[in-house]
Amino acid sequence: MKFLCVPCDTPMKLLSTHGPEAGSMSLVYSCPACGYEMAMLTNPLETQTVASLGVAIGPEGTATAGESKCPFSAMARGDADAAGLAGATGFPWTEDARVRLETIPAFVRPMAKTGIEKFARDRGYPEVDATVLDEARQFFGM
Amino acid sequence: MKSYFDIVGDGGSHVLDQVAAQRRRIEDALAGVRHVVAVGSGKGGVGKSTLALGLARAFAARGLSVAIFDADLNGPSQAQLAGIGVAPPVPGPQGLVPPRDAHGVGIVSLGSFLPAGDSLEFESVSEGDTQVWRASREFASSGELIASVRWGELDLLLVDLPPGSERTFQWAEFLGREAALVLVTLSSDLSRGVVARTVAALGRTPNRVLGYVENMSGYCCPGCGEVRPLFERGEGPALELPCLGSVPFEPGLGQATDGPATRAIRATAGRVLSALEGSA
Repeated sequence: MKFLCVPCDTPMKLLSTHGPEAGSMSLVYSCPACGYEMAMLTNPLETQTVASLGVAIGPEGTATAGESKCPFSAMARGDADAAGLAGATGFPWTEDARVRLETIPAFVRPMAKTGIEKFARDRGYPEVDATVLDEARQFFGM
Repeated sequence: MKSYFDIVGDGGSHVLDQVAAQRRRIEDALAGVRHVVAVGSGKGGVGKSTLALGLARAFAARGLSVAIFDADLNGPSQAQLAGIGVAPPVPGPQGLVPPRDAHGVGIVSLGSFLPAGDSLEFESVSEGDTQVWRASREFASSGELIASVRWGELDLLLVDLPPGSERTFQWAEFLGREAALVLVTLSSDLSRGVVARTVAALGRTPNRVLGYVENMSGYCCPGCGEVRPLFERGEGPALELPCLGSVPFEPGLGQATDGPATRAIRATAGRVLSALEGSA
């Protein structure tokens, strides 16, 4: 979807995103020629439909490479604890282990997290690190 | 006034770029795979998954490197069929490494991540209306999963498709024009009719349909070893495809090492390879 400023016949640029709140997002576009601004407001079904494509939407330069640009993507990933993977259970993960976990799809990440933490707990490990992950891979035949 | 196609870019959301990047990640992940073969039907309950696993093991027995991707996210069965236990997906330094069954076949199936009885659910900000977005989410998720696996160098990747003629067509499009298909049918008119619809749908894609396999073509008596008809064969629609094999129903298929069904699957695997190499 693209937006055109009709008086200027100029493509509008995505300026900012807000939300989602109650499933609705606000995407603000501005015309680089005349400065006119408009907002596209989505209903929850529209928000979910875009999120289901597994893409991120946000203005350029608002996120570093690899980082989610907008709340659409967090929903697309079904990733309630996208900001802090250790947050849901409190079991600590080292940074390198966390980076590895983020290489697998978010929709299976909760399954991975639960199983790996149980593996670590059962063996008395205080945290999940790369060594624990390698041991778990061997144990589970991967 | 400018039209959509007059405007370069999309104003900063880069949705199209991201969709293209998703495709590239899948292509990169499959770069070492020589042949992608989707095993589908359109009809449910014809033994697609069992046959896919049997073919994979037959390929492995020929010394080929082979893996299966279970594309049925809602009814995954490959992990259980292959004897892979439920285990969490543990990422290696460069992604997921598929667990292997006793025959050396790599298996990627949600069934090995999800305990039996659990269903796959996606968070949604929209109550109800899953019919609108669920298929998109499933394809995106399948793509993410395929891209996250370190498949390595494979002779064959078999994709075990979910049922549904249109879904088979969608998967053919999703996997790309290089993916070949093997269709599975029963000998009944009902099954052949549904598979004929799938063939018609696949006619809208550039994908090669290598042929069909008639599964459960007869009942193999474990007592006397005789194979008898299992379904009444009528005057159903002819499938204008090469028949790659007829596999009888054999109780205990999977455990049997050299029964009629296993032998038929081995022969079928040979024909699939010949078709792939263009010498059928």
